[in-house]
Amino acid sequence: MTKTYPKASRPSLDDVSVGIEKGEFVFFIGPSGSGKSTIIKLLLREIQPTRGKVLVNGREVGSMRSWKIPQFRRSIGCVFQDFRLLPNRTAYENVAFALEVIGKSKAVARRVVPEVLELVGLGGKEHRYPHELSGGEQQRVAVARAFVNRPLILLADEPTGNLDPDTSIEIMRLLDRINRTGTTVVMVTHDSNIVNQMRRRVIEIDSGRIVRDQPRGVYG
Amino acid sequence: MRARYVLTEVFLGLWRNVTMTIAMIITMAVSLTMVGASLLMFWQVQDMKEWYYDKIEVSIYLKKDVTDEQRTAIEAAIKEDPLVEHYEYETSEQAYENFKQMFRDAPDMVSAVKPEYMPESFRISLKNPEQYQLAYDRYKDYPGISEIRDQRALVDKIFSILGGMQTVALAIAIGQGVAALLLVVNTIQVAAYSKRREVAVMKLVGASNWFIQAPFVLEAVFAGVIGALIAFGALAAAKAFLLDSGSLEALTDILLTVPWSRVFTTLPFLLGIAAAVNAVTGWVTLRFYVRV
Repeated sequence: MTKTYPKASRPSLDDVSVGIEKGEFVFFIGPSGSGKSTIIKLLLREIQPTRGKVLVNGREVGSMRSWKIPQFRRSIGCVFQDFRLLPNRTAYENVAFALEVIGKSKAVARRVVPEVLELVGLGGKEHRYPHELSGGEQQRVAVARAFVNRPLILLADEPTGNLDPDTSIEIMRLLDRINRTGTTVVMVTHDSNIVNQMRRRVIEIDSGRIVRDQPRGVYG
Repeated sequence: MRARYVLTEVFLGLWRNVTMTIAMIITMAVSLTMVGASLLMFWQVQDMKEWYYDKIEVSIYLKKDVTDEQRTAIEAAIKEDPLVEHYEYETSEQAYENFKQMFRDAPDMVSAVKPEYMPESFRISLKNPEQYQLAYDRYKDYPGISEIRDQRALVDKIFSILGGMQTVALAIAIGQGVAALLLVVNTIQVAAYSKRREVAVMKLVGASNWFIQAPFVLEAVFAGVIGALIAFGALAAAKAFLLDSGSLEALTDILLTVPWSRVFTTLPFLLGIAAAVNAVTGWVTLRFYVRV
């Protein structure tokens, strides 16, 4: 599969072919601009491949009709470096928002949201606003929001990029716990510490090509 | 619950940007008032054409020194004429009586005119008043005719004035309409910008497109509906306070009164136009400008 951005001199991802099994935990590593984040965008169908196919759960995502995309995205959770929380909503409301906008009732939210906030370790802080929470806690809210729909896949784009090492480890424990429930986790990072500690499958990308793919790998 | 969410978002959105909302509603109201006014004028002209064309006649005035043969020849021709619905002959005395009747409020004028001044004439109703030119061409060369006059020329002047007013109203409607639509585009852009975080999260978690877009489009539609109601109010007020009992009351003598039923008929038109145009504008803005 190849992705070339318009006006780019070389492809962002050049003839990349990779398969990820259900329930796996995969790190994509590589220097900035190597094409790691392009993979996340392709999996979310924010962009389409120039050539080749993106298959998620047996469905071709690249050529998916645009009106089917929302339904498809409900099967994917996503966490980012910058958390992307709504500043004027509490932790509870941020997570509940993700349910409400896909048509779940308030009753469902009342049942599910406290449960998932408890799971990410935010029990008792439901009614704090993002600015009243630490960076690690904010990222936990983001993970809770990504996970509240029980997605098949959790995408994490440098989720520890804004966090200190100790907090990063906590977030990784959380992602690991989520992975153990059967959720496939795909994480893009250049945090060598974390990769080395987790000892999971590592796919290294450089200049749009896969240069390494090893199970239980370490960072370069 | 989803409906309530969407409605809450609509009103929050309008309130958050309330100055723009008011500007949008005012321009729309002015534009739609003009649309309504030209609609009313259009209907009115249609009606008046029917009403007047039914009554107007072609008058063939005869010369003072017309001979009996000439008069008989003309009358025979009119009788045979397939263009003519019916005709009447009016003597000088009858013409004088009519004149006295018409100007009974101005005795000076009546006393200045003597019966013999009034020309005798044939009053012809045409089957189709638009065929005046044909009738004119047919009779103009008969001896003994001094003048052929078509009353339609007179009422057509009124119609062309009304038509001009209608054009002006439409021009204002279009100008204001364009301004209103640009305000809609701007309002939606501002609204989308102020909600960009929410929209990003909604797209991320897979909220459906209509669910993301509906509040923005409905904001525009809602403003349009309010604008249409204000425009309707303005038209009703114009009828009640200008035409029925105000400075333009005199106009209704020539123009036929505008019935209330007709004023009410404009309401669905205005609502429909406002809602449809704003919905399309809102949707196009989201689709091609904002990419929500």
